[in-house]
Amino acid sequence: MTDVLIVGAGPAGLSAALACREQGLSVRVVDEFYRPGGRLLGQLHEEPDGQWWNGLEEAAKLHDKALQAGVDIRCGVSVYNVAKADGNWQAFTTEGVCEVPALLLATGASETAVPVPGWTLPGVMSIGAAQVMTNVQRVRPGERGVVIGINVLSVAIARELQLAGIHVDRMVLPALSPVTSSAGHPEKVMESMLRVAHLAPSPLIRLGSRLVQSLGLQKRGIRFYPSGGIRMWGIPFQLRTAALEIVGTGQVEGVRIARISPEGVPVPGSEKIIPADFVCIAGGLSPLAELAAVAGCAFAYLPSLGGHVPLHNERMQTSLPGLYVAGNITGIESAKVAIAQGTVAGLSIAADLGKLREPEPLRHAMERVCLVRQQAAIQFHPDIALGRERLHQMYEQAQAM
Amino acid sequence: MTSPDMVICRCEEVGLGKLLQTAAAHGCSARELKLRTRAGMGTCGGRSCRSLILAMLEESASQAPGHDMPLGCQPPVRPVSFSMLGGTE
Repeated sequence: MTDVLIVGAGPAGLSAALACREQGLSVRVVDEFYRPGGRLLGQLHEEPDGQWWNGLEEAAKLHDKALQAGVDIRCGVSVYNVAKADGNWQAFTTEGVCEVPALLLATGASETAVPVPGWTLPGVMSIGAAQVMTNVQRVRPGERGVVIGINVLSVAIARELQLAGIHVDRMVLPALSPVTSSAGHPEKVMESMLRVAHLAPSPLIRLGSRLVQSLGLQKRGIRFYPSGGIRMWGIPFQLRTAALEIVGTGQVEGVRIARISPEGVPVPGSEKIIPADFVCIAGGLSPLAELAAVAGCAFAYLPSLGGHVPLHNERMQTSLPGLYVAGNITGIESAKVAIAQGTVAGLSIAADLGKLREPEPLRHAMERVCLVRQQAAIQFHPDIALGRERLHQMYEQAQAM
Repeated sequence: MTSPDMVICRCEEVGLGKLLQTAAAHGCSARELKLRTRAGMGTCGGRSCRSLILAMLEESASQAPGHDMPLGCQPPVRPVSFSMLGGTE
């Protein structure tokens, strides 16, 4: 009999599994991918203190610990439905139905697409797909790539591609359209990049301060932004250039680009086609909460957390008894926050199942989440803390009703 | 600068033009837009286009998403074979 089923073997799921095991619970973790680690697998970046964060190593460490602790980890297994039955949760997996008193959804995030005409051509992929190909499967996505969409995630991954010896020709914005809204607006992109620059890894800090120093105020800055872009690690960041179309017959052959105004409107006569054999589209991440929706969880829409997230409290309990969440499903944050949240979820489950003898470890784990959040090198949104506060308020209000 | 032919829902091959037109003609909510055009009803269950449809409605019709999960999710949320759903005959 399994006490806890965890969906997702990423940083949150694995750390939760460990915490549960340490309290004597029997735990099974399932993941759709063929190896555990989740988003950790692709990560490789320099922290502000100069240390390198190697996600592959972090994933291996967590995986080893979980195995040693006796966690039952099953990869290549999908969960396609969840339902409540006689006080237990039933998870419908591709390996059959699993019935447990406690179910933790640590499904992470999905990428948001950036539709540009031609985005369905072979050779166009999300930036996360390029990251997995490069850092996990060790396959070169192409010889000459263009990244469409400039945000915290795409900047970090472009650097990873470059470290792997893959030529990233330039980073540009998507053409302004009703589906890309602010991602195609140079002023707004610059504003959002500068707001996170002070917390980001050192090269980003340099980019941020270079923008501020050399260009003065943001609004004026974007007006005088150099047409060739600002280079970081040798990659031109072209905030005043938009991709109007991805061109090619049968596969990607190039990108039609144009200079754009600070508001994102193309400058007539500035169009040209640049060659490329792969294109990464990058619209950021949003919480992957389909199973929580199917289960009947209450939700909150909070853009600072990446979109719709299941209502939950600081103990990672959702509005439904026995159902818990941890990691990016609760809002887009760094893997370190996900690990800390996983520990909370694991201890919280143990407490609810009557296995936690003292309340202290859970309280410490909850404090640790806040501390890790404050110290996070990469913050995906400047208002994460406010979003979290609002979420917990909404949870309390819903519970009181 | 809108490309009506640009695909938004890849599974059901629904273009941006069709979505904008339908939204304008009927003053659609996200759900009504899905039912009228089939955008978001394909094999991926809306995983790719759900956020795009919401962004489009917010931008073109000033409909900000509410707290309830829009374009509700139905099981199976992952593609599975019929045999897995039951029935061996």
